[in-house]
Amino acid sequence: MSEGNLIKVGSPYVPDELKDTVTLTSLDHAIDALGELLSPVISPVANLARSNSVWPLTFGTSCCAIEMMCVGMSAFDISRFGSEVFRATPRQADMILTAGTITRKMAPALITLYEQMPEPKYVIAMGACTITGGMFNDSYSVVQGVDRIIPVDVYLPGCPPRPEAILDALLKLQQKIRTENYHERKKRTYNQRAVRYVDYDTGKLVDDLVEEARQEADAVLAGGATIALKSEEKQAEASEKKD
Amino acid sequence: MTHDAKPPAQPEAPLEPGQYGQFLKEHGIATNRLADSCGIETIAIQAEHLPSALKLLRNSQEVKLDLLITVSGVDNNETFDSVYHLWSYSHTNELVIKVMIKKTDVPEGKLPMVPSISNFWSAANWHERETYDLVGIRYSGHPYLRRILNPWDWEGHPLRRDYKQPVDGLNDKNPHSFR
Ligand code: SF4
Repeated sequence: MSEGNLIKVGSPYVPDELKDTVTLTSLDHAIDALGELLSPVISPVANLARSNSVWPLTFGTSCCAIEMMCVGMSAFDISRFGSEVFRATPRQADMILTAGTITRKMAPALITLYEQMPEPKYVIAMGACTITGGMFNDSYSVVQGVDRIIPVDVYLPGCPPRPEAILDALLKLQQKIRTENYHERKKRTYNQRAVRYVDYDTGKLVDDLVEEARQEADAVLAGGATIALKSEEKQAEASEKKD
Repeated sequence: MTHDAKPPAQPEAPLEPGQYGQFLKEHGIATNRLADSCGIETIAIQAEHLPSALKLLRNSQEVKLDLLITVSGVDNNETFDSVYHLWSYSHTNELVIKVMIKKTDVPEGKLPMVPSISNFWSAANWHERETYDLVGIRYSGHPYLRRILNPWDWEGHPLRRDYKQPVDGLNDKNPHSFR
């Protein structure tokens, strides 16, 4: 089933010959349809509520975390903007501030944390380290930008960014949440992949190579036996030459 | 120490054994004195004599080098060095011991072997694991020689001269990187 079917209004496609025997148990399509209908009314209210209660995850891996702690204390007090509690579990958090260097050893843990957060979830890439690798650029052990492993909503440069900058990033994120619409967000979500492996010989991503191979296979299947025959002939020629 | 003091150049003639070299010589362990590092006596020693020499230096009342500051590793051009820094609280004195293993002596595809000292000096346990992780020196007899800083399935030893960074989607090494 393609993605288009998932968000189509009405029931999903069921072939005619199965109409009598199939029972639809998922209400996703109905909820989607209802949601799309009501979203002009509900979205502004819901977004206003959501944007003013963005709870961050307690996540700090190095020096940037000190500024993150500072912004939670009384001098700057992030709770004025609705992010009062740093939740200790991703299940209760809406936003992750990637405060600090993400090493290759930490990357799987960060991905797990991100995937454990309930939708809708947001990421602020805090500090030079998580934007481009920062001063660990070209290091063998540091992920060169956290947007290679999780999607990022707001980039917050600095080494470390000042607490006011964190508040500014939070306000930017709130603006973004207010302009949002549940359906558009759902369409945008895509599958995450931890590490994209690269083929050493060609320098291409393994995913791309697999896709190429699949397309070739499809072409062969579509072209019928002729192409297969041709390749067999070629092999035969080659073996003759060898002899 | 002044900043413009030059590090001592390697002299042609072999150096006279220093205090600790003399001590080890009296106990039948041959050492080779190297140029001092930052004014600290530095000696090179054969790998098989290392545990007995360290036990002697630690336990005898005369020298009593009873603190193991660090175990580290160096990839020089011709050798792999396993370096031990010892400190004596009672004599406020320091010693650097190097075990140098020629790269030509290491079989192809094998790691250089140095006897582990962590079974009688437990401070060395994690230091040896770190040296194994980053420089790739295998400490024979270590109770739990596994990578300590890098992930367990890491390939290669990053502080070696011939180390190549991994090529994948997490860095810019790949010319077809999606960023
Ligand atoms: S960006 Fe700077 S302050 Fe932040 S984690 Fe990296 S090195 Fe530390």
